[in-house]
Amino acid sequence: MIHGMPIDEILLVIAIASYIIGALALFGFFLSRVPFLRNLGATLAILGAVAQFAQLVARYEISHIWPLLNLYGSLSLFSAMSVAIFVIFAFRYRLWFAGGFVLALAAMFLTYGVTWNEGIMPPVPSLQSYWAKVHVPIVVTSYAAFLVSFVLSALYLVRFYVERRRGAAMMLSASVEPAAAGAGAATATIAGPNDGVSGWLASLPSLPQLDVLVYRSVAVGLPLLTLGIITGAMWAKEAWGAYWQWDPKETAALFSWIIYAAYMHLHTRNHWRGMRTSWVSVIGFISIIFCYLGVNIWISGLHSYKV
Amino acid sequence: MVGRTVAREPPMTDAVRNLYADFIRTFGNILFAVSLFVVWGILTLIGVIVDQGKAPSAYYAAYAAPVARAILRLDFNNVYHSWWYVGIIALILTSLAVCTFKRVIPARLPALRPVKIDAIPLHATIDVAAPIERVRESVERFFAQRGFLVRNREFGGVEWSFADKQNWARRGVLVAHLGFVIIAAGTTLYWAFGFSGVTAILTGQTVTIPRSGATIHLDRFRYRIDPIATKTGIVYQPIDYVSHVTASGKDGIAHPYVIRVNHPINIDGTNYYQSSYGFAVRFTLLHNGRVASLSQPLYAGDTLKIPGTSRSIEFLRFVPTMDPQTKMPSPDPRIGNPAVALSLVQNGTNEGAALVLMHRTVDVGDGWSVRPERYLMFTGIQYRYDPGVGLVGIGAFILLVGLIISFYFLPARFYVRVDPHGEGATVGLAATTVKGYDIFAEEFGSLVERLRTSLQSGG
Repeated sequence: MIHGMPIDEILLVIAIASYIIGALALFGFFLSRVPFLRNLGATLAILGAVAQFAQLVARYEISHIWPLLNLYGSLSLFSAMSVAIFVIFAFRYRLWFAGGFVLALAAMFLTYGVTWNEGIMPPVPSLQSYWAKVHVPIVVTSYAAFLVSFVLSALYLVRFYVERRRGAAMMLSASVEPAAAGAGAATATIAGPNDGVSGWLASLPSLPQLDVLVYRSVAVGLPLLTLGIITGAMWAKEAWGAYWQWDPKETAALFSWIIYAAYMHLHTRNHWRGMRTSWVSVIGFISIIFCYLGVNIWISGLHSYKV
Repeated sequence: MVGRTVAREPPMTDAVRNLYADFIRTFGNILFAVSLFVVWGILTLIGVIVDQGKAPSAYYAAYAAPVARAILRLDFNNVYHSWWYVGIIALILTSLAVCTFKRVIPARLPALRPVKIDAIPLHATIDVAAPIERVRESVERFFAQRGFLVRNREFGGVEWSFADKQNWARRGVLVAHLGFVIIAAGTTLYWAFGFSGVTAILTGQTVTIPRSGATIHLDRFRYRIDPIATKTGIVYQPIDYVSHVTASGKDGIAHPYVIRVNHPINIDGTNYYQSSYGFAVRFTLLHNGRVASLSQPLYAGDTLKIPGTSRSIEFLRFVPTMDPQTKMPSPDPRIGNPAVALSLVQNGTNEGAALVLMHRTVDVGDGWSVRPERYLMFTGIQYRYDPGVGLVGIGAFILLVGLIISFYFLPARFYVRVDPHGEGATVGLAATTVKGYDIFAEEFGSLVERLRTSLQSGG
């Protein structure tokens, strides 16, 4: 305890501060490609994730209660795992350009989680199970992987639409040039190939590479989500008597699984791979957030554990 | 003119064949499968958003009348058990079966045949100043050392080498589909032979479970709810629900058991779970101040008829603690100052409600009065016999294995031909994978560079 502040709260503050400053640094790197900003952002991302994992351990040590049994705890793990998965991907595939978005989202979800912190509470009977230590981390890690795929999909779409617009503009430029030669007006508003946006686009991975990265992050999330649904079903069978009860949380998870299963099937088709599958990934993540937060907060059911 | 006899099959056979071809074409189309996924997803989402299994009045209370009517008419109040939800799953299973036999199994081991190397996006050529036979051997050795299965075939006088990597992983989709089918089979077993239900057992009462034949006697039920100080106030947190029962199965021998949440018991293959608890209440009916009768224990929602009148008393709910100051139910769910919520019903119309403390008498007119005499705890036990659960578990595991194989292993094939080129040879290479070209581009480039280095250094 430092000046009356428990160690878990100190670690939480370190994590949020690291994510916010790290996000700013990586946004700076995203726009400027200054290596120092990348190194700073990467260091802060790692520091923030480590602080968060330490915070969860500290919370467990203080209370002797598994810390993931409420929205605050699970959102803490969600943001920590999002950053951890991103860091692994970034080291493996040189993805630091996307780090600002991931860290900003992690900071946002973590801060939102703090608003649900009601202090230390013993779990309700249905949560007093070893399955809590299996099911919850798996499911939350799958959500975290989908957050990374969402960021990459969004970047894919940004690049795709910017390129398409610029491609159309270039074609327009080429087609009007003979007629409007000397006029200048038609081409003056169309950005040339060597402006800042082009340089920025060129520094991103190509569209096919981004698509592969989205696929790889979904490849982390979907098997984990499947395993999460399976372990959840096993727990449900033990706690409630049936492995599947069509509870809103179960069905919302099934809905997300269906979307990502559709993604996987569409990704086998050449014509669907890329822009369309990226949209499916974005919709998939929206469904994940609905399943994760929307069902817990707005819809009553067996999984309505908020505090 | 000499007439010719043309053998024609009956038109009916053609029609059936065309229909079959259309069926296979449609159900074997991945986009059709994805469309079914979309419909399945939307229906599932409807079930998440619209409360399931409520009384029609609940929908009219929650939605505008036209929406509520639509919900009820379209079975959106019971989505997951509606014929069209089951139907869409049946269509998905059909599509899955057709795709498996039409697409997945034939693609498992693609034929070894020559390709137009330049037409494949992942292609390269390497010129080597070495005898063609040595180059051929080096290429084969290069791929074999890296775990590729190398096979040679001759087509039109040209020898081709086919180097396959992780070919076994082509079975991943097949395995995943198989898992899905096994899950469906397990679920069907439950529908066909399983059963489930919930029973309430009062303290001291013995209940025989229908279909399983087991008898369960509730010796004692206890629960623990702790007041926890949180940042926003006191929260009454349930900590434990425990039923102490004596139960017997087919052998008729009684055994003591403890049933609590997350710790079900199993008797003759049927599981018994702690699912809920509550309070039943016995009422004394008095006429002109004299005891007329003592009711059976009433559960929330039960009614007590007032003899000789068109009135009845509905037992709305048991209130463990009534706040003595506000005379309203306290948020504390522990027994403190117990009361019952009652309503007076006349000719089916609610005439008013009241909160009545235990052992207090309330006048219900015409000389009649009612007194909540005694409360009894009951435990809610859920029972379930599911012969398909093991199969569902196996199916889920197989589905997961299939997904992991499909995602994490990349079957790839190199097509290699070595042609004479002056004094040396030219190696033409192309590669295909089951997941397109982009995902293999980096590895392809790396392998080609290493092969180039190896060949040019005489390896």
